[in-house]
Amino acid sequence: MDSRDRDHRLLGAFLAGDLDPAAARRWDAHLLECEQCWRAVREDRVGRQAAQLLRRPAPPGLADRVTFAVEVAGAARAAGQRPARAAARSRWRARQGGRARQGGRLRRRWLAAATGTGAVAVVVTLMVLLLPGGQQAQSVPAAVAAVARYAQAVPSPARAPDAHPDGRGVPVEVGRPVTVTAGGQQIVMRTWRLGGTEAVVAVSGRPFPMPARAQGLSGMGMAWSARLGKLGLYCLNGRTSELVAAPVPAKELAALATRLPLA
Amino acid sequence: MGSDHRAFLEATLPYLDVVYQVARQAAGDGQEPDDLVQETYLRAYAAFGSYRGGSMRAWLAAICLNVARSEARRRRRRPWEVPARALLDVLPAAGPVGGEAVPDVADVVIADLDAQAVAECLALLPEPQRLCIALMDVAGYTARETADALGCPRGTVLARVHRGRRRLAELLADAGVSHGQP
Repeated sequence: MDSRDRDHRLLGAFLAGDLDPAAARRWDAHLLECEQCWRAVREDRVGRQAAQLLRRPAPPGLADRVTFAVEVAGAARAAGQRPARAAARSRWRARQGGRARQGGRLRRRWLAAATGTGAVAVVVTLMVLLLPGGQQAQSVPAAVAAVARYAQAVPSPARAPDAHPDGRGVPVEVGRPVTVTAGGQQIVMRTWRLGGTEAVVAVSGRPFPMPARAQGLSGMGMAWSARLGKLGLYCLNGRTSELVAAPVPAKELAALATRLPLA
Repeated sequence: MGSDHRAFLEATLPYLDVVYQVARQAAGDGQEPDDLVQETYLRAYAAFGSYRGGSMRAWLAAICLNVARSEARRRRRRPWEVPARALLDVLPAAGPVGGEAVPDVADVVIADLDAQAVAECLALLPEPQRLCIALMDVAGYTARETADALGCPRGTVLARVHRGRRRLAELLADAGVSHGQP
């Protein structure tokens, strides 16, 4: 250590308040007389304050994104798999409507992750949804696709501790609400467990567009239902729009929706 | 889903903002800070069972820096490469340090500094100094936490951050980033 290093260390320690009182007093006295050291102190202050200008708050959606990724990893762990980081990231982006520029890299990561970890069916299903020309990629609006992908990422519960003896049960919220933006539409999604089924309730201030193969529900205004693979979708559009997604037969979906807390 | 991830999130999400600060500074070319943060949390979650206490913030910062380095290696690029070649071209040659002829850079009006210029000047610092400044001054870590995250003595951190701040101030003065001057 040369003398300059030693000076830097001593001055750094002085500025951090690390010196013992006697040494600190000596430095105080020295600074009154030494212009070079006083300049060093002021430059230190300028550098510190300048660097502090670079502080930026985390983006509003980042906490939701991280939460979602960890929940997916937690679900994978519970199912006995290794968490697929790339898959979680891909799923998040897919839920946000997808970005074309990331498609190729993400698909490769998806494939690698799915192959490497022996991903479960839900992951494979998601991958199919993400592939170009996937059966739903063209015909399902981004907001609806995001809800569907999120619902398909939710694993089926191993048991239904909340099941009521009469078979009806009480809905229990699972995890935290997740907010995403897809197709320019902000959507808040909550997952509910009811009688052995996990359903996602998505709420938005804008109506959920009707997919190409959806059926309008007679007598219910802007309501529609649709089927995406094993997933049923049931939508009530209005001032506040709700979209329920659950892996149940179509005939049970409306009844299920009536038992879930909506907006 | 199990509850372990909830315990993890409760313990770590309060530090999302500081991890984001570290990620912004650590992200190399082509790396998105948001991606880096997510990757950091996923790795931290995977290793949460082996977390043995100490500063959670420092632990997360260390993971974030490792993720950034790993990603940079994967891309076969240096994680802290200087992207500000343009700045180098426009900077005047540095004058002598110290002495009466050198304008006192402490006279700059901090509030008027251009954050972009600060970022570009910070990118010109050697990696050890840049890391210490990124953690302590940008992300708000203590010297002890920074030392824990970087795996070096606290005194070394203090010396690096002091040297780095002075160099940063000099670079800003050289770049004419003192708009508050009449």
